[in-house]
Formats: sequence, C-alpha cells, structure tokens
Amino acid sequence: MRTAEIGHLLRLEWQLDRRQKHAWGSMALYVVSTVYVCYQGVRHLSDVPVWNALFWIVVLFAAFNALARSFQREDAGRQLYLHTLASPRSVILARTLYNALTMVALSLLSLGAYALFIGDRPLEQAQLGTFVATVLLGGIGFAMVLTLIAALAARAGNGIGLMAILGLPIVLPMLLSVMKASKLALDGLPLSVTGQYLGWLVAIDAIAVALAWLLFPYLWRD
Amino acid sequence: MKGGWWKIGTVLLLLYVVIVGLRTPLAPALVHASVDRIAPGPVSFDIKGYNTHFTEGSVTAWLENDGQQVCSAPVEVLADDRARVTVTVPQGFRKPLTSVWVFTAKDGPIALHDAFFTEGLGDGITGTPCRPGGKYLRSGLAFPDRAILNETIRNLFFHVPMWFAMMALMTIAVWQSVRVLRSGSLEADRSALSAVHTSLLFAALGLTTGSLWARVTWGGWWTSDPKLNGSAVTVLIYAAYLVLRGSIPDAHKRARLAAVYNVFAYALMLVFLMVLPRLTDSLHPGNGGNPAFSTYDLDSSLRAVFYPAVLGWIGLACWAYTLTDRTERLNALAHEAHDR
Amino acid sequence: MKRTIANAALLVLAAALPARTFAETSAPNWLVDTMYGSGKINTVVVVVSVVLIGLGAWMFTLDRRLGRLERDQKSRP
Repeated sequence: MRTAEIGHLLRLEWQLDRRQKHAWGSMALYVVSTVYVCYQGVRHLSDVPVWNALFWIVVLFAAFNALARSFQREDAGRQLYLHTLASPRSVILARTLYNALTMVALSLLSLGAYALFIGDRPLEQAQLGTFVATVLLGGIGFAMVLTLIAALAARAGNGIGLMAILGLPIVLPMLLSVMKASKLALDGLPLSVTGQYLGWLVAIDAIAVALAWLLFPYLWRD
Repeated sequence: MKGGWWKIGTVLLLLYVVIVGLRTPLAPALVHASVDRIAPGPVSFDIKGYNTHFTEGSVTAWLENDGQQVCSAPVEVLADDRARVTVTVPQGFRKPLTSVWVFTAKDGPIALHDAFFTEGLGDGITGTPCRPGGKYLRSGLAFPDRAILNETIRNLFFHVPMWFAMMALMTIAVWQSVRVLRSGSLEADRSALSAVHTSLLFAALGLTTGSLWARVTWGGWWTSDPKLNGSAVTVLIYAAYLVLRGSIPDAHKRARLAAVYNVFAYALMLVFLMVLPRLTDSLHPGNGGNPAFSTYDLDSSLRAVFYPAVLGWIGLACWAYTLTDRTERLNALAHEAHDR
Repeated sequence: MKRTIANAALLVLAAALPARTFAETSAPNWLVDTMYGSGKINTVVVVVSVVLIGLGAWMFTLDRRLGRLERDQKSRP
C-alpha cells in the first residue's frame, strides 16, 4: 500500500467515470427527482426539525444509490486488472476516498436542490458555515461506512436491496449524530456545542475506515 | 460430568436468583397520601403504606419542608398499612413541595417525598426535630420500593440479564467470525451462526419482557429510550446478517462474507451503544421521573442478586449455544455422509 | 435565581400532576385490573413466565431438530 498507488487508482477511477458521463447524470437526476417528489408531498417546509429530518433522508438515499454502483460496475476483466495491479488495501482506500469525494458533490447538490424546492427558511437563522460543514462531514461519513458494505453486497451478487438491508442499521448511529449536529447548527448554536457531535462523526469515520482497511482483503480474494 | 461444573454452577446461580429475587421483601414504604395539597391550618389525611407495620409499637409522623420539621398530633392507626395523620400546617414553609415522614418501632423512618403541594410559602418556620431517638428493628435484605416500579423492580433479574446474555453470545459469534477470517474454517462459521441464532432467542426474550414491563411502568409498549433503540439496531443488524447468509449459495464464500459483515457490524454497534446514551440524553435532559437503568442507583441488596443473575443467565445462554452448535454439527455430519 | 427557576418548575409540575400517580392514570382499566394489584407483582409473574415459555419453545424446536436427525440416522444403513 503506497500513496502513489492510491493516487494512481484515484486517477483511474476518475478516468473511468469520465467515460461514463451518464452515471453522473443519473446520480444527479436521482437526487433532484427525489427532492422534487418531496416537494410535491410537502410543498414548503419552515418547521426546522422536519426540514432537517427530510433533508437527511434525501441525502441518505442518494448515498445508497450512488455508493451501490461503486462496486457494481466492476466487470470480471477490470477486477483481474486491479487484482494484478494493486494491493486490496490500496483499492479500498482509493475507492473510499473517491466515494467520499462523490458524496461531497452529491450532498452539496442535494442541499442546493432541497433549499430551492423545499425552502431555505430554516437556513436564515442557522450557523451557515457549521451547517455546511456538517452536511459535508455527513456525506463523507456515509461514504466511509457504506463503501465496505457496497463491496459486500456486490460480492454477494445482490444489488441495492441487499445493500440497504446491510447498511441501514450500520449507518443509523452516524445518521443520528449527524442529524443532531445539523439540527443544532440550524438552531443557530455555536460550533462549540455542535463540535462534540462532529467529533463523534469523525471518530466513527476513523473506526469505519480502519475496519474496512482490515477486512477488505478477505472480500477481495476469491 | 466432566467439564460440567459450569452448568451446575449456572443452575445453582439461577436457583439462588429465583429464590432470593422473588422472596426478598420490598423495604417498607409510603405509597400514597389521601391529600395532595396543604394550606396553613389544621389538616388531616390518610397515608397508605406498603409492607409497613403500623400496628406494632408506637407511630410518629411529621411533615418536612426544606429540612424544617413540624410534628403531627398522635397518629390514628387504622391497619398495618393505613394510618390517619392530623397536623397543623404552619405559615411560612420555604419550598412548594412538602414531604411526610412516619417512624414506627419496626420499620424506622419512612418518607413519602414531595407528597404535598404547599400553599402559604414564606421565609421558613421555627421547626423542632420530631424523629424519636429510639432504635428500630428493621433487619435483613430488602429491595428498595421505588415509586411506579414497586414490586416490578424484581424484573431487574429476569429482563436486564437477557441483554447481557445476548451480548455475550454476539461476542462469541464475533470471535468465531475472526476464526473464519484467519483460517477459513467452515466449522467456525457454523459456530458463529449458532451463536447468532441463540443470541436472537435472548434478544426476543429481552424485547418481549421489556415491552411488557415498559407498558406497566412507563405507559407504552415502546418508548424512545436509548436502550430500546440500541437493542432494535442490534436485532436489525443480526437479521441483516441472516439475510446476507441466505443470499450466498457457495459455502466458503458465504462463510467469509458473513464473517466480514459480522466483525464490521459488531465493532460499529459497540461504538453506537457507547455514543447513543450521550446523544439521546442531550435530546431529553431529565428523564421525566423514569430513570433508565444506566442512571439507576443500584442498592446493594439489588446488586447481591443482580450480579449472580447476570452470570447465571450468561451461563444458560452459553449452554444453549453449545447445544445448538452440537446439533448443527451433527446435522452437518449427517449431510456429509448423505452426500458421500 | 437558579433556585427560583427550579422552584417555579416544581410548582408547575406539582400543579399539573398530582403526586406520583401520572403513570398509573394513563393505564387502561384492563391493565390496572390485571397488573397493578399487590405492588404490580403480576408483572413479574408474567415476565418470568415469558422467559420460561421462550426457553421452553426453544427446547421444543431443538428437540424436533434432534428427532429429525435421529430419524435420518435410522433410515440410513
């Protein structure tokens, strides 16, 4: 496992994804249409707890949808190529990082679409910087926890359904702390209060990545 | 009976838990006063006791507010658990809630804390100490009688240890899963599955008993308590584990993937169980008079039964696990013979 | 100041809730009739029964499983 190898793998992912522009389009469309469906259901929301909860549900399902495909698109040839080229630990770290970057983009997009359709009233009295930081950390956190689960589901030869079953109970702790933190940020509380929950978030991320690093080689070999 | 000592120990421990846990009386307590509001002037009310001995020896009663006491007129004893107290409430108590105390020769001092909403507050009164100086005869083990819980405090020995047993079995399952990852052994995989199956039995028992107890004491089958949410997530994780196993036909691949999921989920679940109480405590500051057992101050009489109960139920769970695992091994052997 | 607030909170609480009976009053009659007598001891009885029934059901399934294995064993030479 070397940094250069991870960098190389990241570049490879990016090149592959650039060739499949429709994948990005489908992820973006998924988010926007989810938000639009919510909009049809609730119109404008100014109630902060409900706004917050609905937003995180949108992000959570966007994450499931986006991350499920991260190991799904693997065909046999490409896997063999990666297998001979790189160590499994580099592969999982690169994939986790790449997914984290994807989630940064996706959660910002969700936030934009959500604010546009459902309303940005709750953002008015919020600590905006802290809130956006929470959104980014939350998105990254989902990627860190769910990447290994996505690999598992793909290996089990089952799609997004299995991933939801396996992943939901595991992201729940992260979802609870991120919802709590973002609710506090929306209420306008300073970073010193919200920071504790963001700290939990980072700690869970670290543990999840360490576990993925430890366990992925066992998934990789056949 | 080689290696059977721990099974005998389990049976003896559970025997002790059933006998002492069900036979030990609750400590005498006052449970109710017929009046819930007092104002300056003479007032008379009935008090209801539980396991009290009002008829044995003399009974003294007094009101207490912010450490200041007012003695009652002679108490009229109606039964062992009922008495009529007459007292003149003074003007000038400092706090809005007043407690009533009773002292009997057998039970010693017993209080009904914050029993009365008090009118006529002021800067305090000139109180006199009312508690008799004599000794009292209360002896032996007794469980605390808490409001709302009452006798159901005994469920501490029959409900809470179910979760300890479940966690013990899940720890065994993770250990077996680590063995699968290290050696690829299908036997270890079978043991992990047996442990998960048995742990779900104890989860089911814990959920059912907890739900019943919650209905009677907290007024709902399910409440948003960190412990409940933690147990729900735990059960969901292991249900997902079984679904994952079901979706993979190849035995070796199934063993490996299930082991990976088990280790990953177990570690994150432990983190969750540590984080969750802090998270929810800050959501609900003050538990509305319904203390969770994490904040519950265990009396040493409860400890004397609770610790053996935990050990005993864990022992029983391990026993159930070994039985399941041995049956599964026989089953696997039979299938092998059949295939050959 | 803090004490005043605490006292005020207690006052509101005391006015709203008659002493220590709020959980009891929310229970329906059938529950009070079956579970609340003698210090709610019946709740303990039911909980212990549930544990015993659960363990009994588990032993029953194990028994059936072993029975099936025995039959398989016998039917095979």
